[in-house]
Amino acid sequence: MLAERCIALLDVSAAGIILVDGQGRLSVAAASSERSRLLEVFAVAIDGGPCVDCVRTGEQQLCDDLTAADAQHRWPRYARGAVEAGFRATHALPMRLRDDVIGVLTLLHTRPHALSDIDARLGQALADAATIGLIHERALRRAETVQEQLQGALNSRIVIEQAKGVLAAESHLRSRTAVDPEEAFALLRRHARSHGQRLTDLARSLVERTVDPSVVLEG
Amino acid sequence: MGGDGTDRPPDDEAADGDLPRGSEPVALGHRLGQVCADLLSRVAVDGAGITVMGSLAGGLRGARDQIAAVGALSSRLEDLQLTTGEGPCLDAFARGVPVLTADLAAELGRWPGFAPSALAAGAAAVFSFPLQLGVVRLGTLDLYRTRSGGLSRSQLASALAAGDAVTEALLTDPDTDPGTGEDIGWLPGVHADVHIASGMLSARSGMDVGTALLRLRAHAFAHGEPLREVARRVIARTLDLTDPIHDDPRPTPDPEDDHP
Repeated sequence: MLAERCIALLDVSAAGIILVDGQGRLSVAAASSERSRLLEVFAVAIDGGPCVDCVRTGEQQLCDDLTAADAQHRWPRYARGAVEAGFRATHALPMRLRDDVIGVLTLLHTRPHALSDIDARLGQALADAATIGLIHERALRRAETVQEQLQGALNSRIVIEQAKGVLAAESHLRSRTAVDPEEAFALLRRHARSHGQRLTDLARSLVERTVDPSVVLEG
Repeated sequence: MGGDGTDRPPDDEAADGDLPRGSEPVALGHRLGQVCADLLSRVAVDGAGITVMGSLAGGLRGARDQIAAVGALSSRLEDLQLTTGEGPCLDAFARGVPVLTADLAAELGRWPGFAPSALAAGAAAVFSFPLQLGVVRLGTLDLYRTRSGGLSRSQLASALAAGDAVTEALLTDPDTDPGTGEDIGWLPGVHADVHIASGMLSARSGMDVGTALLRLRAHAFAHGEPLREVARRVIARTLDLTDPIHDDPRPTPDPEDDHP
């Protein structure tokens, strides 16, 4: 959507967002059309386009005309590929989070095009907005994962404690050598290991009475 | 921490499997305890605690843990909220907004089970803040005062900032990292005895563990006894709750009914 906004607001032909992952690899996250998507993929793959330079330097990489000698010299394969795909100008704007570049907003033009000062600032503002959205989305995804993890851990904890209680009470009821809850836990863990079961699954079976406690108590 | 909760060893034995842990078991709890301790002076409260839960329904049936507690009443208030199934922490979690009660004595009708017991324990004002990011909630930061009185604007700001810092810590700390699988060593397990006692009562009586937990809660509420003490007595076999007739000569209010 942001890529589409760029086209409307900045008078560009195509736009795309490339993201940097934790290992520094680049991937295409959004593109205003499949045509620019192909080019972005190309830019990432060749490891020598303006996006790569933008990530490395954290600076805007503006190229008014890809057929010009300096562009051909700087990014020979990218410039050739882009021109073949029908583009003449490319502007890469960094998506910065403090000192890190987390992505690149790339603007493409089918004609030679100098980005005006105002458009450069507007483009950068859009890149910054995209950065904020991205950070929020990542944080939210992480929060959801932690929440699920937390729920799982708490449920796991409950059922293991309950199973310790079941085993301790059963050992007493069956007039065996009574075990206390900590000894019950040792029995539980030993049984789960020797039968290749997950501790939580075994505990749940005991609590739900689908496994006879004597099986575990007798080791 | 009121001398309690330190009587349990760090529970890495409760982790599923025996993979070595990647970090110190107490690292996160220690950090959060520091956040709570700092709040005492900055927000002028007498105690602060952090309770985590994955969902309200889970929290109501005991899938919750108090991962930090400073002040003599913090663990008692957590115990009371599990006992009665109501209170500021649960409301803050359910609604996703701070629940600020400057004068608990004036809120008896809001929490008919929790409020009188909390007052009797010595709490006069309670403030709970949800730990949340967007719609995702992880628990609450709970503050109390032993004298009634509201939070000033700057105290409120400090408390909100502390809540955000705790949320951030929960989201970024390696202890809670999803990569560690079912490793639950970072959870102190403050309600462990309650769940052990539920399992015992279930085995002795044939009732399911959910019903057993209700029996423990009902007994604690009816007798004004901390739930954790009731649990310890059940574990030590000095309290028999298998026969409801002989347990409570008085009618026992069902704390579950108080929560919609």
